Amino acid sequence: MTALLDWTKRRAGPLIVFAILLLLWEFGVKLFGIKEYLLPPPTKVWVEFLKRAPAVMDAAYVTSRQLLAGYLLSIVVSVPLALVVARSRFVEQSIYPVVVFLQIIPKIAIAPLFIIWLGFGFAPKVIIVFLLCFFPIVVASVAGFKSVDPEIADFARTTGASEWKLFRTIQLPQALPDIFTGLKVGAALSATAAIVAEFVAADRGLGYLLLQYNGQFETAMVFAIIIILSVIGLVVYYAVELIERLAIPWHVSQRPAGVTGA
Amino acid sequence: MRNEIDKVGSSVDIAGVAHVFQRGDMVTHAIEHVDLTIAAGEFVAIVGPSGCGKSTLLRIVAGLLRNSSGNVKVAGRDVTGPQTEIGIVFQAPVLLDWRNVLDNVLVQLELRGLDPAKYRDEALRLLGKVGLGDFTDRMPRELSGGMRQRCAIVRGLIHDPPLLLMDEPFGALDALTREQMRIDLEKLWLDRRHTTLFVTHGISEAVALADRVIVMTPRPGKIDRIIDIDLPRPRNKEVIASAKFSEYCEEITECFMRRGVIQY
Repeated sequence: MTALLDWTKRRAGPLIVFAILLLLWEFGVKLFGIKEYLLPPPTKVWVEFLKRAPAVMDAAYVTSRQLLAGYLLSIVVSVPLALVVARSRFVEQSIYPVVVFLQIIPKIAIAPLFIIWLGFGFAPKVIIVFLLCFFPIVVASVAGFKSVDPEIADFARTTGASEWKLFRTIQLPQALPDIFTGLKVGAALSATAAIVAEFVAADRGLGYLLLQYNGQFETAMVFAIIIILSVIGLVVYYAVELIERLAIPWHVSQRPAGVTGA
Repeated sequence: MRNEIDKVGSSVDIAGVAHVFQRGDMVTHAIEHVDLTIAAGEFVAIVGPSGCGKSTLLRIVAGLLRNSSGNVKVAGRDVTGPQTEIGIVFQAPVLLDWRNVLDNVLVQLELRGLDPAKYRDEALRLLGKVGLGDFTDRMPRELSGGMRQRCAIVRGLIHDPPLLLMDEPFGALDALTREQMRIDLEKLWLDRRHTTLFVTHGISEAVALADRVIVMTPRPGKIDRIIDIDLPRPRNKEVIASAKFSEYCEEITECFMRRGVIQY
């Protein structure tokens, strides 16, 4: 409870600004007589959401699952790949440029291909989330694994320690701040990726619902879904940030206050 | 203070060592034909202008750099790869940001597969000796540059290496801190008597610390002169203020004037 109070105190500024924006929105809409199908007031969004909450929450569950699976897959693939790139000259000079080149392909444009290959289910969406999150995590992690100071490396070589020990004691901890930067960029992208995947082809999930409501001019529900999606994205992002705080307190605490990345 | 004088350092034999850096078509002769023998337990300082290859020589002795020609022996054995029976200290402290002062010292032992717990007391003693006794649980970012460098020096010494290589270890420090560090380093050396190769461009620093000062020429670096420093230890305020001390400094300055490194 005190933790929550502390949090509220620390975030008082942004919370107040946010509340004022909501109030402006609510009364602005009424004051200027804007039609509800164009811009519904927040209260209307809330009321409509409550009416259809079960359906929306089911869809949110579907989307979250795809998002998390794709995001986790991208972490599991990207970080080890980055390590290989950082440690092997051959991989860095022959495979990594290809990875970078493939990155230029607009991934959203190839999303329909995955529908052809993998159908309408869970897998193609996971792949699309994976593709979008993958690259920033690889790039940041490669930078991290390569960030060991040459003189620290020289010092380490004079200890005769094994490669594995050097990795564990020096290279990995040194890389963690950069890896987390990549993970946070990836987390921020994952919600976008999940919804785009569902736009392309889906029969459930938030992306599917969003298109449905949009087609029916149920603007309040469109807003409700956008908000739910944003909340999912925020939860993932802050979960990663929390893990970062626990994993590398020495780095987090030296960052200038108020800068959280994103 | 001198009760551990029986500890023996490693000797270093440098014979006809030269080093050439090649970058595309650019060939740089960093050092040319250096012969130098350092006795076990001796404190040798190498002084020379920037770019004279003194750091290159130190890295060759450490086995971190392969010399283009010539031969280097440490404790009678040919140097063919990175030496592990050494302690090394660079101009930058290069501490690990995620470890506190004590753990930054103990990493030396962890990497060597030794039990850090056994060295804890010795680490604390040495840290106390260089004025870090109250800071052992601080993180590097909480320390001043001088404090970080002291931690790096203790890290270089904790495993009691028979040979200590120091590459301009006080180069990034202010004059007052440098002076204190010099005093601390001499104390540690008197305590341990490990052979020390100390690279610097500070003339008085070299005279104050060393048994012998090696004066290098500008690039390509060769040994210009070797000067025996016959001054009592510890080199306290009186020794530093003595006429003899100034004469040694003058002698080195004149070497540099002859080579055009220092011009009035």
